[in-house]
Parts: sequence; structure tokens; C-alpha cells
Amino acid sequence: MMKQKTAVVGFGCAGYHGVKAMREHGYDGEIDVYTDSPWAPANPMLTTYYIYGKLPREATCPFGTLEELAVKYHFHAIAEPVEKVHSEERSIQTRDGAVKRYDQLLIATGARAFVPPIEGLDCKNVFSMRTMEDAGRVKKVLQQEKIESAVVVGASMAGIKLVELFHARGITCTLVDMAPGIFPIAAVPCIASEIEDRLREKGVRLAFSKALERIEEAGGKRRLVFADGERIPCDLVMMCIGTRANTEIADDKLKINRGIVVDERMQTNMPGIYCAGDCSEGTNLQTKETQIIGIWDNAAKQGRTAGANMAGVRTVYQGNMPHNITHFMGMDFIGYGDVRSKGREYVYENRERGQKFFLRMEEGKPVCMNFLDSFGASGVLKSYMLRKINGGTEPPNPAARVRLLHEGIPRELIELLMKEG
Amino acid sequence: MGKIIDLDIQKCSACGACAVACMDQNDLDLSEGVSPFRVVCDLEDEDGEYQYYSIACFHCEDAPCITACPCNCLSKDKETGFTVCDNTNCIGCHSCAMACPFGAPSYRGDGKMVKCDGCAERVKHGLEPACVNNCPTGALRCMEEQDLKDVKIKNSLRKLI
Repeated sequence: MMKQKTAVVGFGCAGYHGVKAMREHGYDGEIDVYTDSPWAPANPMLTTYYIYGKLPREATCPFGTLEELAVKYHFHAIAEPVEKVHSEERSIQTRDGAVKRYDQLLIATGARAFVPPIEGLDCKNVFSMRTMEDAGRVKKVLQQEKIESAVVVGASMAGIKLVELFHARGITCTLVDMAPGIFPIAAVPCIASEIEDRLREKGVRLAFSKALERIEEAGGKRRLVFADGERIPCDLVMMCIGTRANTEIADDKLKINRGIVVDERMQTNMPGIYCAGDCSEGTNLQTKETQIIGIWDNAAKQGRTAGANMAGVRTVYQGNMPHNITHFMGMDFIGYGDVRSKGREYVYENRERGQKFFLRMEEGKPVCMNFLDSFGASGVLKSYMLRKINGGTEPPNPAARVRLLHEGIPRELIELLMKEG
Repeated sequence: MGKIIDLDIQKCSACGACAVACMDQNDLDLSEGVSPFRVVCDLEDEDGEYQYYSIACFHCEDAPCITACPCNCLSKDKETGFTVCDNTNCIGCHSCAMACPFGAPSYRGDGKMVKCDGCAERVKHGLEPACVNNCPTGALRCMEEQDLKDVKIKNSLRKLI
């Protein structure tokens, strides 16, 4: 019997976990992995730690190099960029024009940094931060040039890590965003303003509600020009507005919103074509709609689910909710759920530990939670919220309650969770 | 399926002997900023009765902290099945904390993650984990996870979660 042939397009977190799961579930067919990046699977977050010097270059491939993984999981790595996935034929067309047919495909092309098309992006020292190539460029500039000031455009999770990096190096840093506050897609105003106060105290300049019009060269520096007329000069500009899913290789038969839509088995609308990771739209358990949930852990679980199903082991991944934990400059922002939701709001503080807690409840269920500096309890609270949005009625179990108390979560908040449970 | 450490909640008195043994075994100096791996606590139930607990990593079979770690620091010890950590490349991002439903990950003063490894080395050499060995009431037990599933064990904390 002919061996099955599988193609995996893209080899980040989801692609890696997909291949790993296929082999672990006994798939013994051929696997071609298309990847035009020499960088082995790694979290884009590692870029700033590499620039910082906290991680050596080899540690930015935590799962092994591409060559090592190709041997371990027995696949062929193909460096030729993919031009198109023909979903009906289950074939892949590479940029050199070659077309190869497969029995099944996994699209795991991930996402890229989104940079809006403004004037001046080609100025010197204007970068974004997503790949190790980006990290290499910024590291080189910081090593070779005298960088005294930087502007980070985009108060995102990637943006704040660059603010942290520049602040630690004594570089005057301004964080700007079109939104009125920090982490606009995750933080509620009362938590955002607390973070902003702390950043200002540390000497970070903040400029919100500012629309960037263009970047220009001025006297050996970059100058950012905003719609309100303000101009900020600096040596280095980081564009960290957000990301976009890499869906361009999908043909028009595949259902695409912002990402490629998948079911709970990570199957697209086209038979034999699976998709996982930051290029896919899985189920948001809170809204029950499909949505890109661009989190490493989510990509791993989606990849693993796709791989199991592609190996013939029926596996379901129900979905997730948007959530994140961001550790920066000695603090942790923790956010869960929909920041634009409506409901009754509760705010608590543990002044001794400098922790702040925000909950928004609707019909006995948390719909949005923001916590500052309670990372020890973050998993307990995430698990509680996921259970509640899945229809669970149980209050937090004793082990969870012990942890909440130990981590300094105010008793009123624990009582609220117990009552709403 | 590997080994786990379970608690008989009827036998626990939250005396803290387990936590002290754990700190000693793992050289945890709380004054340096590390949080303890094992936490003891009492909780009041609806009837006003107190129940005593000793909580640490549950060594989940499909441990969510392992997939959440961006630096591949966490893994299952092949021999014992305990969830173990090599924090050489830990960046202190707290992703494991967000993944753990029990808040088990601890962090040292330098930000690197440390956790209960079930005293895997002791267990491999035929010894009990330090916390189990030091429990004066026999409340903590190290056992095969399969045994917990097969046998009806009363008062198991693990069965409450």
C-alpha cells in the first residue's frame, strides 16, 4: 500500500505540535514541512529576551534546531516558499512553480507583525518585532550605534516588552498608541491607568490617543509626526501595533474571516485540510463564535489536536477564551475575557502586596477579569472562569481556594467567586 | 501514567511539617524571595467546621504547564512521571503560572521558575518524597496514579479537584 503523504505549511508552535502529535499517534506516512524560515519553532516573545541578553542564541530554539527536529520526527524540510494551497486538489504550489499533491494538509503559517502603510517606514532604524531576524537587526543597532531615545508605536504586549528592554538600557522611551490607554484590547480603564501611573513613575513617557501620520528623517534622527501636530524625535522606532494572520496562501474555497475558520477537530471547510495556530480561527468559548486567539498555549493545543486527527485519532479541542499574562518591569498584567463586555463591576485591592483586581460579572458568570500582580493565582482564576463560561456551577475547589488565600486574593473576592459559583 | 502525591484530608492537621521538610530538601530560603512549593492552610466550610489542607503540584498526567512554557523548561520525568523543570532557559514569563489550575509554579528571587519535582531523585532511589516522609499523621501519600483510579480511596484531595 502507498504511504500517506502529509504536508505541513509553516513550522511555528502549531506546525511543530502538529507533526509531533502525528508521530506520537503512530502516523507513519511521509511528512513534508514547508518552512521558509531557518528559525526553528519558537515563541516570538523570545526575541526581546535574546536582545536583552537573557537568552543565548541557541536557547531561542527550545525544541531543537530544524535539522534535529526533522530527524526526530522524520520529516522533509522544504525551504521553498509556498505560493498557494489548492484545497480541492490538496496540492501545494511553491514559488518556483512546482505543484505537489498530498492526502492531507496542515496550514500553520502563523501571523506576522502588522505595520500600517504610512510614509517613512523605509527610514533608518524603523523596525517591527516578531522574528529572530527582527531581533538580530535591533540587537545589532543597539550594539553598534548610539541609541539614546526610542519610540514604541503600539501599547501591545510586544510593545511593552520593548519598552522594558529600552528602559533597562537607559534609553529614553516613549510608548504611543492611537487608543486612549495601554493594552487596549485586554485592559479595562481602571487597571490600565494603574499600569500607566507605574510606568510614568519609572520614567517611561506615554502618549495615547495619538494617530501616527508619518515618520521622517530630521537632523540624523527619526521624527514621528502625529495627526494632532505633535512631533517626537528619536533614534529608533519600533512598530508594534499588532499582528495579522498569514492566510494569503489559502485559495478562495477555504473559509477565511480574519483567520482560516476551523472546527473543533481543527478541520477547515475543505476535507483533508487542517489549520492551527495564529493563522486559524477556532472557537471563542465565551462568544461561541470563531476568533483568532493568538496565544502560544492555544497554538500548541490546536496543533496537537490537528496532528492527532491527521493521524486518525479523533480528538476534539473545544476552544479557548482570550487571555494573557504579561510580565514586565517588575509587574504582571493578567487579563481574561472580553474587555468590551457589559455587566456589574467589582474592584478589589490588596494594598500590602500592591495587587489590584477587576471583575465584570453578567448573569453569575465572569465576562472580563483584569488582575495586576497576582500571577500566582492567575491559573486558578483562569481555570475558574473557563469552567464558568462552559456552564459549570461548582465553586472553586479547596486546592484553588487555598492558593487564592495564599496569594493574597482579598477574602471579599474569594467570597464573591464562591457565591457566584 | 506516573506517580502522584495525594493528601488524605481527614488525616491532615495543617501542622506544616511537610512544608518545612520541602523547604529543607529543596534549599528554599523564603527570605530570598522564593515562594514555598507546598502550602498548608485551613478552610472553614459552610457548617463552620475547619478542614485542613496541604497543597503542592498535583503532577497532572497531561500537565498544562508543559505545553504553556515557551522555553521548553518543563517535562515529565520518564521514570517517575513527576512534572519536572530545568530552569536554565526560564525567562520568568509566568506562562506556567497562567496554565496551572492550582498555582503550583514558584519563582526564585531572580525570577526563574522552580517547582515541586515530587523529590524524583529520592523516589528513584527508593525513598519517599520529603514531605511524605515527614508527615506525622500519614496524610500525605506517594502512589501510582493508576492505583488512585483503581482503588476507592477515601478522603482523597485529588478526588476533590
